[in-house]
Amino acid sequence: MHTPVYHLSGIKKFYNRHPAVDIKELSLHAGSITGLVGPNGSGKSTLLNLLAFVDSPSNGTILFNGRKAEPFSEAVRFRVSLLAQEPYLLKRSVYENIAYGLKLRRGDSSQYPKQVNEAMALVGLSPGEFSNRPWYGLSGGEAQRVALAARLVLKPEVLILDEPTAGVDADSARQIMACALTASREWGTTLVIASHNWKWLHEICGSVLQMFKGKIIGNGMENILFGPWNQGHDGYWEKALEDGRRIRVSTPPSPSSAAIIPQSFITLSSHAPTMKQDEHVLNGVIAQLSLEPATNTVMVSIRAGSQIFTLRIPQEKARETALFPGQKMYISYPLSAVTWC
Amino acid sequence: MNFILDGLFQAIQLLIRGDGETYSAVSATLKVSTYSMVVSLLVGIPLGFLLGHHDFLWKKHIRTITDTLMSLPTVLVGLLVYAFLTSRGPLGEYGLLFTLEGIAIGQAILAIPIVIALTATAVESIDEKLRITLISLGADKKQVFYSTIWEARYGLLAAGMNAYGRVLTEVGIAMMVGGNIKWHTRTITTAIALETNKGQFEMGVALGLILMAIAGIVNFSLSFLRNRS
Repeated sequence: MHTPVYHLSGIKKFYNRHPAVDIKELSLHAGSITGLVGPNGSGKSTLLNLLAFVDSPSNGTILFNGRKAEPFSEAVRFRVSLLAQEPYLLKRSVYENIAYGLKLRRGDSSQYPKQVNEAMALVGLSPGEFSNRPWYGLSGGEAQRVALAARLVLKPEVLILDEPTAGVDADSARQIMACALTASREWGTTLVIASHNWKWLHEICGSVLQMFKGKIIGNGMENILFGPWNQGHDGYWEKALEDGRRIRVSTPPSPSSAAIIPQSFITLSSHAPTMKQDEHVLNGVIAQLSLEPATNTVMVSIRAGSQIFTLRIPQEKARETALFPGQKMYISYPLSAVTWC
Repeated sequence: MNFILDGLFQAIQLLIRGDGETYSAVSATLKVSTYSMVVSLLVGIPLGFLLGHHDFLWKKHIRTITDTLMSLPTVLVGLLVYAFLTSRGPLGEYGLLFTLEGIAIGQAILAIPIVIALTATAVESIDEKLRITLISLGADKKQVFYSTIWEARYGLLAAGMNAYGRVLTEVGIAMMVGGNIKWHTRTITTAIALETNKGQFEMGVALGLILMAIAGIVNFSLSFLRNRS
């Protein structure tokens, strides 16, 4: 068994006494692609900053290739690179921005132009057109691609991408996604990617981690239902949807807790199922269907009021049931499957 | 109005004629302002970086004190430096009273809080994302410092210009610590004060215009450098 690139144990990060990240154990292996999903404020960026060693945990240790590491330690300085959600370009030309990391590494300076040009070509920017452009002469998508090129030129052992396609045009997003895969395929780079584009993540990632309130609560196959929850006349805890229907759950630890329902416990049917004891049935319409070739499954999003439930079914079953967007469906889940966060 | 116009002509005449007394005052002014600015930039920029870049206990209080010190009265600084440098003072043995170096010490005390406070503001205004970017590209602590300073260069330029303006135009310290000794510690500002007391308004205006010209040349030079970068 190889030593993992990362091994985190007992990691906690507090901001103003508020816990932003709380992870008991996590290992990431060399060459793997790991996705992070979760709502805004769930701790994804904080965890990525810790993995990139730009920030230190309040508690716990992070082992990098089996050795304890922290910001600025020599073991990680030239090996891990982070592309932040809104990258900062240095107040220099595009060429100087991309060459900055190379200069820090004090490599063969005669190779810099070639390396920079290759990185620019990789992200789809013409060196002739962009090399001498100042930092302020770029669109959002171009700036993001320059920032990515500045990381790719270093061929890092670990590349961490925080919402790399958020707020960029479709062409730039496509280019960025392709570059991430190139880094993984060509150089064996370990990738950690936080994104709301979970379709993309589930396509390319070996594992996806679902984060919520700073904790890893699953593998991205969970539905998170936010409170507040009220106790009904019949004693069940529930939340009213806009159209008057109710989502029923097990007893929450507090009315504002978030309910987590794993996809594997949700049953989908086109006819109203017989209501069983301690089971909840809800109807909705198919909002989205998408194929996930890596797992041969079809991801089905069911909209019930403002709440979206997501589940995956085998491709064969999807074909048999002839699902289509807009179709009315029923979902059911046992109340015992609901966990709380 | 005439004496102002006369002052203008006299200033040109003084410069063309190569008036020794005027050039001595200009030279003294340039020397003390250069000494004090070198010291205040060397001390103020690193301290301003620490204040703007790091979080630590009492940071807010130190920031408030530094901001307050930006408006130090020059006569108070002059008085304190005089008290330290006089033969009875703790630094009297160094014989710095009534020297250009003594004036420079006082002016550095005046300029350092300005450089610290404005550097801290410039560094604070830089996005936290710069630090993350630099570290994630492999910069060590020293490289983070230098690159942050470079990114904040326009703010630092403003800090330096502000401090230089204060140093160049102050009269209290130069008068009290320098003693306004002709051919020795007489600066342009103390010369203006003296000429005005003597009723020589034209000479005062002439020296004032020279002072403005010096400030203008320095400002234009820095603006040129800024535009080139």
